[in-house]
Amino acid sequence: MHVLVVEDDERVAGHVVKGLKGEGWLVDHVADGRQALFQVAAETYDVIVLDRMLPNVDGLKILQTMRAAGDSTPVLILSALGDVDNRVKGLRAGGDDYLTKPFAFSELLARVEALSRRKGVVQETTELGLADLQMNLLSRTVTRRGQPIELTTREFALLEYLLRNAGRVVSRSMLLEAVWDYNFDPQTNIIDQHVSRLRAKIDKDFEPPLLQTVRGMGYSLRAA
Amino acid sequence: MSWPRFLRSLTLRLTLVYMALFCGSVGLMLGVTYVGGVWRPLRQVEAQIRRDSDALAATYRAQGRDALIRALERRAAAATAKTRYPYHVLTAPGGAVVAANLVDWPRAGGREWLRYEFGTYATGTEEEHEAVVRDLPLPGGYRLLVGLDTEDLDEREDLIFEALSWGAGMSAVLSVLGGLVMTYAVSQRLDRINRAARAVIAGDLSGRVALHGSGDDFDQLSATLNEMLARIEGLVASISRVSDNIAHELRTPLTRLRAELEELAEADDPGDVRERTGAALEEAQRLQSMFEALLRIARLQSGPKDAYGPVDLSRILEDAVELHRPAAEDRPLGFITRIAPDLSIHGDRDLVFQMVSNLLDNAIKFTPPGGAICLEGRPQDGRIDVSVADTGPGVPPEERGRVLERFYRGGRGEAAGFGLGLSLVAAAAERHDAELRLDDAAPGLKVTIRFRG
Repeated sequence: MHVLVVEDDERVAGHVVKGLKGEGWLVDHVADGRQALFQVAAETYDVIVLDRMLPNVDGLKILQTMRAAGDSTPVLILSALGDVDNRVKGLRAGGDDYLTKPFAFSELLARVEALSRRKGVVQETTELGLADLQMNLLSRTVTRRGQPIELTTREFALLEYLLRNAGRVVSRSMLLEAVWDYNFDPQTNIIDQHVSRLRAKIDKDFEPPLLQTVRGMGYSLRAA
Repeated sequence: MSWPRFLRSLTLRLTLVYMALFCGSVGLMLGVTYVGGVWRPLRQVEAQIRRDSDALAATYRAQGRDALIRALERRAAAATAKTRYPYHVLTAPGGAVVAANLVDWPRAGGREWLRYEFGTYATGTEEEHEAVVRDLPLPGGYRLLVGLDTEDLDEREDLIFEALSWGAGMSAVLSVLGGLVMTYAVSQRLDRINRAARAVIAGDLSGRVALHGSGDDFDQLSATLNEMLARIEGLVASISRVSDNIAHELRTPLTRLRAELEELAEADDPGDVRERTGAALEEAQRLQSMFEALLRIARLQSGPKDAYGPVDLSRILEDAVELHRPAAEDRPLGFITRIAPDLSIHGDRDLVFQMVSNLLDNAIKFTPPGGAICLEGRPQDGRIDVSVADTGPGVPPEERGRVLERFYRGGRGEAAGFGLGLSLVAAAAERHDAELRLDDAAPGLKVTIRFRG
């Protein structure tokens, strides 16, 4: 998987590049708008991570130039301009997703992978699973150690998202956006109640527990 | 009051204009009186003299000198107290007087019409008289002067000119005096307003314009200005309270973050490291959330409305119920919902969801276990009411304005969150042209957002 990171802040770029490499991605990095335009034209990427505020050429300008040239590579916009209006502007300019700084790396990774799936690079599966937990997306059934588990529609969606991001930390706002399709920062533990209900169903009668709470970050579904 | 400023005064300029108008109208009035009372009667007198003198000249030409003298004497004798006294003078060639009842007349002719004054001693005392006289040369070197007494018109004319000069003079003096008084009074009042404004400029926002107490235009202006100043003072106070609060609110999580990081620097045990890192991240998350909420509120108060469009409100309400139901059930609280189908508004979907979500959060948070919350969405008077009611402690009426302020927690301490939830709802409601109302649900609080349908 080939990703281009366009980000002028060295520390942020270093953090993102190191993290993506660690996940097995092939990463190119440019820090300047004009260079980015050149790179995008010269190379084919699976996903582009694009900062909005760049020297020389504005991030949105790059995006528009790309889209005008018929380049449909999925783009994740990174920005310190976090309000709804800027988000809408970014998405209208042709962005596929939008992430506000500061962000958790796990969230960036989840979004980058979702974008690469959208492009059809990853094969669409009908089965998801972790350890002895199995999910069938066609029959919409979940079993653990062979025993069927009854889930509500929402719990099913929640578990599906966690399974797709198994081994990674997902934040509460990621869950809210992916499962409920609303974008805002919940200031209370409202998501936690849903997660603990799900946990009661998949973990209570089984060992070892799969659904972990990662303090200060969110949740993670992992076998360890 | 310095002289140049006095001259620049609008009041003074108005006074001068007023004075000119006043003098002008006095002049006009006297002019009309003059035309009616002097000028026109004089023209009538001249016409009569013309008729008389033409008849006398005809008599002379037809019947000779003696007949003319007799006619002149008859004319003089016919005079009564009610008519103008007729004057005449007839001189022979060389200037010798043939007949005359005038004492004095201009010897050398030249002008046909004369108007002049003379004195008589008919009653023993000198009497002023004025006459209009026509000087008419007759054939054979004779000269005939025929006239009528116009002393009354002269007196009237004098009276009018006297009135004019006195009237104009006095009104000029009076209007200058009045102008000075008016200018002084007005500038006193304006000075008060100026002084108050300068005090405010100098930084004393509590400065107010002193009222005169008469309820006049200036008092009304001053009262309006005072209201404006009070509003500005209130806004500035609330802004400075908010920034004080922000500074204060940031201090706590920053201190905790620092403490966690300091302990992390010392930690050796992996479990301890994970624990400290998690706690530090939690504080960072808290700071970030607070910032985001603050920025969001600030952006809602200005900024463009790009994300606005038709929104399926019924769907949003159902989703919000679904999201919050577990929290309500865990407490436990009854959760009653009455949502009319197909409610639609114009707005920002995420923001509307957040408003409803914040209200439900609060209701769940503040209602003691065993109570109930209720979410309602229904059309009302052509608008759409969304209300969240609870059976919690409610908010006393005097606190209802303040709970919308940023960081206000109604003395409930940190358990209540950032104290930004309702501020965000208020800002978002205003953004949507929606009314936000807090009512007593007896017991509990009922918050209603009234959207435009």
